Amino acid sequence: MNKIRIWKAIGRGVLLESVRRKDLWVIAILGMIIILAASMLGFFGVRGLEVFVKDLAVTVLGIFSTIVAILTSSRLLPDEIRNRTLYPLLARPITRMDLLLGKFFGAVAATWIGFLMLAALTAVALLIFHVQFEWVMIQYMVLKMMGLVVLCAVTLTLSAYMTPQAAATMSFVLAFGSVMFEQGLLMAGNSAGKGMRPIFATVSDILPQYHLFDEGSRAANIGWGSAPIWVVLALGTYMIFYSGAMISMAWSKFRKQAI
Amino acid sequence: MRFIPIIAIIGSAAAGNFVKDFGPTINPPYIPANYDAQETHASTSILGQFRTSISSWLWLRTDLYLHNGVEMRQMTEAERKSGMSTEDAADDGHKKLMNEESVLTTVPSKDRDFRGIFGDIERATSAYKDMHHHTHNDPVAALPLFRLMTWLDPTFVPGWVQGAAIIGRDRSDAAAIKAVEYLKEGERQDPFSVSIVMEIGEIYITRLNNLPKAVTYLEQARSMGKHRDWVSEDAENTALEQTYRWLALCYRNLEQTQMMRQVASEGLKRYPDDIVLAHVLYQPPALMKPQYQKEWAREKISEQKSTAKVDDPLE
Repeated sequence: MNKIRIWKAIGRGVLLESVRRKDLWVIAILGMIIILAASMLGFFGVRGLEVFVKDLAVTVLGIFSTIVAILTSSRLLPDEIRNRTLYPLLARPITRMDLLLGKFFGAVAATWIGFLMLAALTAVALLIFHVQFEWVMIQYMVLKMMGLVVLCAVTLTLSAYMTPQAAATMSFVLAFGSVMFEQGLLMAGNSAGKGMRPIFATVSDILPQYHLFDEGSRAANIGWGSAPIWVVLALGTYMIFYSGAMISMAWSKFRKQAI
Repeated sequence: MRFIPIIAIIGSAAAGNFVKDFGPTINPPYIPANYDAQETHASTSILGQFRTSISSWLWLRTDLYLHNGVEMRQMTEAERKSGMSTEDAADDGHKKLMNEESVLTTVPSKDRDFRGIFGDIERATSAYKDMHHHTHNDPVAALPLFRLMTWLDPTFVPGWVQGAAIIGRDRSDAAAIKAVEYLKEGERQDPFSVSIVMEIGEIYITRLNNLPKAVTYLEQARSMGKHRDWVSEDAENTALEQTYRWLALCYRNLEQTQMMRQVASEGLKRYPDDIVLAHVLYQPPALMKPQYQKEWAREKISEQKSTAKVDDPLE
């Protein structure tokens, strides 16, 4: 219970810091872009373009939430060390693991808030054009938020090993290249023959599977139902284990780090 | 005296009306100096690339929507050689819109996926289904996208050609006329596209049964192709070959044998392996069975090649 209170306090600090650094302005600007883009579409008229509009909406939502998640998570640890605000934090009765987890939960909370704000803005823009969503949209949002947890964990871990800029760049490459890497590994694995496949499968397993959390293509197109419950449970398990592994890696570096 | 200005205006209008027919003679069609500005001006190049990128992106999205979100890709050479079964389309009238002779879903089916549970999850969370003999969504729904892409990039030829194919899917004359109007709009935007003009000609032949009108457009396409050394794009080159075929066949049906031979001969010089043109030019003996006629035309082509009797039309 005590631990949860500690993580909550540190997480709240991350949120306050995010507000103080005007990160929400980024979301507001991105939101403005969504509204402007929607106005442009309104100029053409969206009759017959509903699928395209939905597709655009989930694409934009995916890109912008990824940007928010990476920018929020990549500088949490390095900033604390550079600004020397880490000393007063560690002077309190908390472990470095508590600090790491608190930062992680804070980053996830800030990212989720940003995502929900963007989703609300997108929904408003779409409602103006009377574009209707199917129930799968709810599942899309749940899975997307789960994927953002993995993304925050990976970015936070990378920032423990490298500069915030390098961590952000690496994270962007991994996040936006996820589908491409997976396709490349699949095609290479299939053409390499059975003997080599375990190697490609292992590389594929090690890389974060962000694309599995993206149900955008089902949400945008017509008549696709939501994924079965076992898929959501499997992805939930993956999220916990993968994020746990990442945080453990970050901790193994952070606990020995000279400050 | 006070009517002089009115008379002058009417006179000048009449003179203008009289001389405007001389326009094409005095100023024959030519490529404007700034037509290839993207090659010389950085800003035009960047803007052009941006427009083309957006249009190409919309083009790919259209393909995606016709498959209801299921992403497809062409088979690799290795996949083709391995005898993998293609997830081709059922015959639902879309052959004209897309080439799907050897395609696969981007998300692999279970039998070609070594990822185990990750593969199963991806098939469950993305828009995936078995696409063997698949059908397509009604392409009319994609028509606004064609409008959008041609508005963004008026020189995006596939947008005009495929958009017209969609408009003309309804086999009525009215639909064919609408398709021609759409293509003519494209021609105004990109007056140097062989594909667009050839498509207009093709619609006049296959849908409106108006051969003389078709000949006008096909001759225009032929003329553009003849004077354009830069018909290097695959699609434009294929359209030019198609132009020669249609034109030769038109002249044959209009019983203008001399023109037919001239067009077929000119076409063969540019496309020496074209069986249709060879067939038109070397008319196989009437008694020959159809299955042997192609072979006969092929032999004629190789004979002509070996004796090098054919002059180069571009010289």
